[in-house]
Amino acid sequence: MGQLGTYALLFGLVLSGYGMVAAAVGAKTDRPALVESARRAAFGLVVVMVVVSGTMLVALLSNDFALRYVADNSSRSTPTFFKALSLWAADDGSLLLWNLILAGYLAAVALRFRRERPPTFPYALSVLFAVQVFYLILVNGPAKPFASLANPPADGRGPAPLLQNHPLMAVHPPFLYLGFIGFAVPFAFGIASLLAGPGSDQWVSLIRRWTLVVWCFLTVGLLLGALWSYSVLGWGGYWAWDPVENVALLPWLLSTAFLHSVMLQERRGMARLWNIALVIGAFSLMTFGTFLTRGNVLSSVHAFAQTSVGPVYLTFLALVLLGGFGLLVWRLPTLRTPSHLDSAVSREAAFVGNNMLLLAATAIILLGTAFPLVVEAVSGQQVTVGGPYFRSAITPVFLLLLLLAGTAPLLPWRSTNRSRALRRLRWPASAAALVMIATAFAGVHQATAVAAFGLATLVFVANGQEIVKGFTIGRRALRKGRRRYAGLVVHVGLALVAAGVTASSNLAQQTEVTLKTGQSTVFAGQVLRYEGLQTEQQPQRIVLTAPVSVTNAHGGAAGTLDPRMSLYPAASEPIGSPSIHRGIVTDLYASVIALQDNGGSATFRFYRNPGVNWLWLGGLVMALGGVAAAWPVRRRADDDTAAGAVRKRAVVEVGAG
Amino acid sequence: MTGRLRAASPGLLVILALVSCVVTLIIVGTRGRTAPVGEAERVQQIAAGLHCPVCKDLSVADSPAPLAQQMRQEIAEKVHAGESADQIRAGFVAAYGESVLMTPPKHGLAGAAYHLPLIVMVLGLLVSFLLLRRWLHKPQSEPLAGDSVSLSASQRRAVDVAIARLREEEPG
Amino acid sequence: MRRIGLRRIVLLATVVAAVLAVVILLATGLGRDPSAPASPLVGRAAPGFTLAQLDGPQFTLSTLRGQVVVINFWASWCAECHTEQSALNGTWQQFRDSGVVVVGVNFQDTSTDARDYVRTAGVSYPVVEDSDSRAALAYGVRGIPETFIVDRSGRIVDRVIGPVDAAKLAGQINSLLSAGSR
Repeated sequence: MGQLGTYALLFGLVLSGYGMVAAAVGAKTDRPALVESARRAAFGLVVVMVVVSGTMLVALLSNDFALRYVADNSSRSTPTFFKALSLWAADDGSLLLWNLILAGYLAAVALRFRRERPPTFPYALSVLFAVQVFYLILVNGPAKPFASLANPPADGRGPAPLLQNHPLMAVHPPFLYLGFIGFAVPFAFGIASLLAGPGSDQWVSLIRRWTLVVWCFLTVGLLLGALWSYSVLGWGGYWAWDPVENVALLPWLLSTAFLHSVMLQERRGMARLWNIALVIGAFSLMTFGTFLTRGNVLSSVHAFAQTSVGPVYLTFLALVLLGGFGLLVWRLPTLRTPSHLDSAVSREAAFVGNNMLLLAATAIILLGTAFPLVVEAVSGQQVTVGGPYFRSAITPVFLLLLLLAGTAPLLPWRSTNRSRALRRLRWPASAAALVMIATAFAGVHQATAVAAFGLATLVFVANGQEIVKGFTIGRRALRKGRRRYAGLVVHVGLALVAAGVTASSNLAQQTEVTLKTGQSTVFAGQVLRYEGLQTEQQPQRIVLTAPVSVTNAHGGAAGTLDPRMSLYPAASEPIGSPSIHRGIVTDLYASVIALQDNGGSATFRFYRNPGVNWLWLGGLVMALGGVAAAWPVRRRADDDTAAGAVRKRAVVEVGAG
Repeated sequence: MTGRLRAASPGLLVILALVSCVVTLIIVGTRGRTAPVGEAERVQQIAAGLHCPVCKDLSVADSPAPLAQQMRQEIAEKVHAGESADQIRAGFVAAYGESVLMTPPKHGLAGAAYHLPLIVMVLGLLVSFLLLRRWLHKPQSEPLAGDSVSLSASQRRAVDVAIARLREEEPG
Repeated sequence: MRRIGLRRIVLLATVVAAVLAVVILLATGLGRDPSAPASPLVGRAAPGFTLAQLDGPQFTLSTLRGQVVVINFWASWCAECHTEQSALNGTWQQFRDSGVVVVGVNFQDTSTDARDYVRTAGVSYPVVEDSDSRAALAYGVRGIPETFIVDRSGRIVDRVIGPVDAAKLAGQINSLLSAGSR
């Protein structure tokens, strides 16, 4: 098994190397046959990667402990579902998934361009193969997943307890990887447009939809990570400003900026240089993220910690930065376009503001995350940059972004008629003011929270009213302006997310209390009683449940919370699992953190978290809006004629709002 | 008269809304907390500013780890005994070093962290301002978006008709 | 044309310089282990404590002033503590009559488990129970085992994370003993 995997990986490396060289040479010397062979190689590569991943999966499911990876991450008593998940549980294995997804994207690009051959295509193919070469070097070299053990043990160590506690582990990494790795495609086409020379401007319209799809994956991946943190880790929160979480957010911010500024290029021919810089930046940040996550540089809950891979990632990062930005600087003269704005109060100006704010947010988070590293390198001092810093630094940027999201969709392109703009704004502004007054009256004492609630309302009503207007005009308008309406839906989702984040950050209550069996406490208007410990023996762990009955103020029973502690043989400390009563407005959340007297008494933490479910709903709406925007347009019969070109051009003019 | 009022009212409404927002924020900002801060909440605040030493990224307030629980107990005792927040924090820094604080100390090189967000925002505002100014003052006469197309009169009519038809479907 | 060429080269050089600076900075982070920060207590007075022994009266650290003290934080559930037990036992046997005391501080454990461990591992030096972790918190303990070496005047001279090495420990104790006698 291990042999098959190793040889397949080697073959994959050779194939990628061939693809990279063939595509580049074919492009430079204008030999379409070479490019075509490279394109076919992409299909071969994805088959190889499927075989490789399949091999590892079979090894895991058949308890092949001769492989070091299987011995370290699986055991006989692990349930089958989690055995399969172990495929991406640890560094080496997750690199296999990474390579598989990258090969999948390569094949998708090869498939998409089977007929059309824009001049950027062969260069982009070559760049994508180059990225694949790097990641295959990793699995063939320092991070060998198929390394075998001389003396295979009788049973494996099993996955890390935290990773087998919850099925969300199944979906969070794949979505995240689909989001991250996908940035290689816009990057490749951006580089290709620089290599192919002036006149190859179509890369932006080619890449816009790809970037949107990748953005959707990343949004869902981040959302699932937050959901996992909240539902599984038991600390009552969903975002810890962990360095790895932060670097995952950065490409999302830059790609959001790109998705906006791309409209500037499509409609007005502006910002060409900027857009290429953005896609290079997003990919560089993703590479930096892999370095930080896997290079054992900063302490993190995600750290895989394999010291030998750090230098390899760093080298790749250096190559990406030098290659990308160096090429950009080299081609600078060909990228300058004459740009002109008619008015400062226009959607173009708003996009400039949007990009500036998103870039500022990226810079603030990046600098904050790297700060401990820099300080320690310079002065040897060890400091922590944690949640409170990021929260207070990001809040003003976040509020300004909300303001833009609530006003810019109401601004037309080029210039505005002042009374028209004000007329569109009256309901959103009034609603915002009312909500602010109401929250102030309700006793919210943080000014930023009041502002955030008001701005979230502004965004919700402003975008909502435009969507409603679209419905009143008719289905045809919705279909033609699909990109615009999908964007409005994403903003509505953003408003929900903003409201959820504000509520849960500012209005949450918590308490820590030790209860004896039968004893009760009052929290958030409800009576919570500890009912006594229950023990359950499972094949791979012992589960201790500390049920808490909930009675509301009127005396009616409101169910039971079942926070658990699971004891795994491999772990010295038990892994806690919280129990959550989810409600429309607020969650009641319980976790048990200590047991005394064999369960005779237990220490609980109870939380009342308002708004968390708005966060999940809003995130889902954002992702769905993105999907709606990316949904392929049906090709019409006249697409390749002059009339069709006029129709498509007009759709761009009008459909983008 | 009513026509002019109706035309004037959206602007008036928006300005009224804006003013009430600003006023509300000022009132909330200056009012501060309406209820006094209890001991439990002070413990929570201090714990939230300390990094749990055995966790990766959680504060002492958030962490379920046993050591964090015991730290919270110690903080509670010290608060009850009348120690100030600074004294309590200094005690933990003496044992664990500056990295036990959730945010960098305000003095020295590490304190530069607090200036970074402001510098970033100022730079960003400056750049956008300069960019917008440059773009607003350029002359009007350049061709549309990169495609240099010369159309015949009938083609221009076809384009105008198509765009007009699509524009009438655009709301507002 | 030449002016444009120069500008491009200058910009390119800036990009290269910036990338190199970033890479070198990140490379410095590669050599360090992020989960073991330095202890600020080394070179300062050892925090005092008064804790109950496992089977015996209260034990106060300050009474040991004038002797070299090895303070070891451990627990019965800690696998690495088992591996260093023989080194600690050996050190105790070797130096107990030379003015050196080894003190075990039991961390986040139960009395029963601690007593069982002491009995089976043959621990003969004094062992105290730090039931509310006040001593551990005062010493900045992040995990176990951690060992602190204190000189005769009550100053911490070293902090060891992980199992102690018997030879290295003996060397440190010897140098502290000879320094004090001068």
